[in-house]
Amino acid sequence: MIRTPEAPIIELERVVTRELPNGLRVRLLADRNAPTVSYYTFFQVGSRNERLGTTGISHLFEHMMFNGAARYGPKEFDRVLESRGGSSNAYTSNDVTAYYEDFSGDALETVIDLESDRMRSLALTPETLEQERQVVKEERRLRTENSIFGLMEEQLEALVFLAHPYRWPVIGWMEDIDRITREDCVEFFGTYYAPGNAVIYAVGDFQPEEALASIEGAYAGIPAGPAPRPVAQGEPPQRGERRAVVRYPSQAAAVLVGWRGPAARSADSAALDILQTVLAVGEASRLRRRLVESEELAVSVHVSWGWRIDPGVFLAFAELAPGVKVGSAERVLWEEIAKVAGKGISPGELRRAQRLLRSAVLHELATHNGVAHSLGQAEALLGDWREAGRALEQYAAVGIKDVRRVAASWLDPAKRCVVTLEPESAK
Amino acid sequence: MSASTGSIQLPPLHEERLDNGATVVVAQRPGVPLVAVRLVISAGAALDPTRGHGLANLVAQVARRGTAQRTGRQIDDRIESLGSELGAGSDEDATYFGLSAPAEFLSELLDVVVDVATGPVFPAREWDRLRRREVAGLAHVLDEPGAVADRAMIDAVYRGHPYGHPTDGRARHIESLRRSDAVTFHRRWFAPAATTLVVVGAVDPPAALALARRKLGRWRTRGEEPPAIPPAGAVPRRVLVVDKGDITQTQVRIASLAIPRATPEYFQALVTNAVFGGGFTSRLMEEIRVNRGLSYGVRSRFAMSRATGIFFVSSFTKVDTTAELVRVVLDEAERFSADGPREEELERAKNYLSGLFPLSLETHEQVAERLADVKLYGIDLADVTDYRERVRGVTAQQCLEVARRHFPLARGVIVAVGPVKQVAPALEPFGPITVLPARKVI
Repeated sequence: MIRTPEAPIIELERVVTRELPNGLRVRLLADRNAPTVSYYTFFQVGSRNERLGTTGISHLFEHMMFNGAARYGPKEFDRVLESRGGSSNAYTSNDVTAYYEDFSGDALETVIDLESDRMRSLALTPETLEQERQVVKEERRLRTENSIFGLMEEQLEALVFLAHPYRWPVIGWMEDIDRITREDCVEFFGTYYAPGNAVIYAVGDFQPEEALASIEGAYAGIPAGPAPRPVAQGEPPQRGERRAVVRYPSQAAAVLVGWRGPAARSADSAALDILQTVLAVGEASRLRRRLVESEELAVSVHVSWGWRIDPGVFLAFAELAPGVKVGSAERVLWEEIAKVAGKGISPGELRRAQRLLRSAVLHELATHNGVAHSLGQAEALLGDWREAGRALEQYAAVGIKDVRRVAASWLDPAKRCVVTLEPESAK
Repeated sequence: MSASTGSIQLPPLHEERLDNGATVVVAQRPGVPLVAVRLVISAGAALDPTRGHGLANLVAQVARRGTAQRTGRQIDDRIESLGSELGAGSDEDATYFGLSAPAEFLSELLDVVVDVATGPVFPAREWDRLRRREVAGLAHVLDEPGAVADRAMIDAVYRGHPYGHPTDGRARHIESLRRSDAVTFHRRWFAPAATTLVVVGAVDPPAALALARRKLGRWRTRGEEPPAIPPAGAVPRRVLVVDKGDITQTQVRIASLAIPRATPEYFQALVTNAVFGGGFTSRLMEEIRVNRGLSYGVRSRFAMSRATGIFFVSSFTKVDTTAELVRVVLDEAERFSADGPREEELERAKNYLSGLFPLSLETHEQVAERLADVKLYGIDLADVTDYRERVRGVTAQQCLEVARRHFPLARGVIVAVGPVKQVAPALEPFGPITVLPARKVI
């Protein structure tokens, strides 16, 4: 049956939920449109839970999770999954570590078995730690040290946050990756991978009652763990622009700007998404028209409002045309932001942004993986999986005045942080 | 029904050849209330003039910057105010225009997509501006070691062949192209007989077909029959080092010429690749990442086209271990070509491919792209519907033969992007070395 545009985007009342005595939460949604299942496990741990000296442990640990447990030994996790017609992956962010498997419906029992095995009895051997350490260092070389955006982003976060752990990169500092010990990993596992710190989301072609019984059977015996330490909050007020320069043998200059915004659960989040879309999504967006099309100062411009548990970053990135000075691009950027903050946006721009965001939400929810991930993101960042089904209402409720207000209050020139890339000649 | 057997269910297809020769395919699907529209013209970068690499891509980019009815800005405003973004681009075989939007706007979307593909006027200012932007964009490509490696690989493996240049072209070619080149390219190669329009999603098929007839059926131009693309000739073993002194990690590509998309070897190649360098448990992943920690990622792929495609391995490692990485890849290729896959590996690869295939047909866009490819490459729809059965039928002996025929054993190019002073001496044992400064790659 074709869902009409008025139908709910996720049928929230059909989500089956349970909390096991050990604290593990389970959310299941049956959907038979495709013969597949997506199974997510969200652990409420990311770089915000780390400390200096062992930064990057959340991400390094994510790699360790694929190296064998009591029943499925080293290398078996993916072999068993692939031989049942599935694939898996994982990611670590500032806030969460998420694991997922996509597979055809009849492999659900196997996936529950694999996931519960590693939550119960992960093997943390010195050999696999050494090997994953090398792999992670290659990942850091790939994404940060030999990537212009990676180099600049690392500087920006360290400017925006003086005190909060968002200050360091998710992948961690190279020396910390070298420093993490097996004992650190054992302690980390005992706290952050305990069932009370995890939520399972399964979406797709299965019977919820049967799946729930299997999950209870597989996970119920895993002991509850200690409560994780709360993340220290607080950030000194910013009393003026902060700047950093990255010198690198690049072909052209670039500029990356960030402002500290609100927490994801703030009522301003939806308006900041609209603002981001007005500024830089699509050819008709303000910054693309001016920086790329009219004045040809940049070859690309991106703006993103990143939803995080604690106050996050609203950032803008422009790759400049060769020969263009950073100053001229910055001037246009500041003018355009001042314009939105001073005069607001037009009704047509608001409608365009709302429709683009609606399409983006519908696209994400077009796959089982997308629905499961949205439920998990909403619960981790906003405290309630039901928020995944409310995104469209929130965008629809944003008015012109809201966009102007969030631009004026969050994108204050005195509170911006600016990283510029200065090309230097190659050695 | 088991995970890895059973035919793949496609929605009923409504296909029509219009009076002018264009092909239209419509499929109604349940799911989100969106529609995906994909218009494909079988003219791509292989038709770029010898000194005009990048022309097909520019034609696609500038086509959306103005038609007899709409300026570029009006096109952007219209499409984006409906909640969509228009994609335009080329690969070696074709030019694509595509978008996805709420299904209630299908008529407006088709108006714009058909207008852009059939009636562009290539405004002179936009033509000049986009040429400047493409050249500036290529400068940024130089700062991405992986992109530099991909470009160098295409050049090296296809030497002189119509596929032998990146689709976004070369800076000095783009600078020398004239607006009249774009007008001529469009007039010669963009024609109804070369066009397929695919519409997939929450639509009523008879109504969608009627719309397509009305909007696309008016297009009357004959165009020319494009020349057939010759098969590419095998390359002897050589090593190309692209010098980038400022990086701490070498990007490596190892490539050989392989097979076109429409080939009886297709499913054999898929399974062979899945065992060798496809998934997370492939031989390459096992040896390079799991056993040696040499890289974060390694994969291999058969990239297929209408004419000869390529087989390539792609990875990266810190500069010191460049030669070790190349050695392991070549040894694994040799080992596979000697023994073929083990029974357990073969079984796992088949289940993996069969189980995951439905995931590649989950969204309207994915289905539209697959249906357009069926037309573009002239393949049998049963390659989609009987995918699992065909994967199942592949034998270990066939994998062995595929590897012997197409893996870069004695032949094939090795491309490494990194600091030449360290990388070139390390790679000397693998074949005659050519050194190229990175700027030559754009």
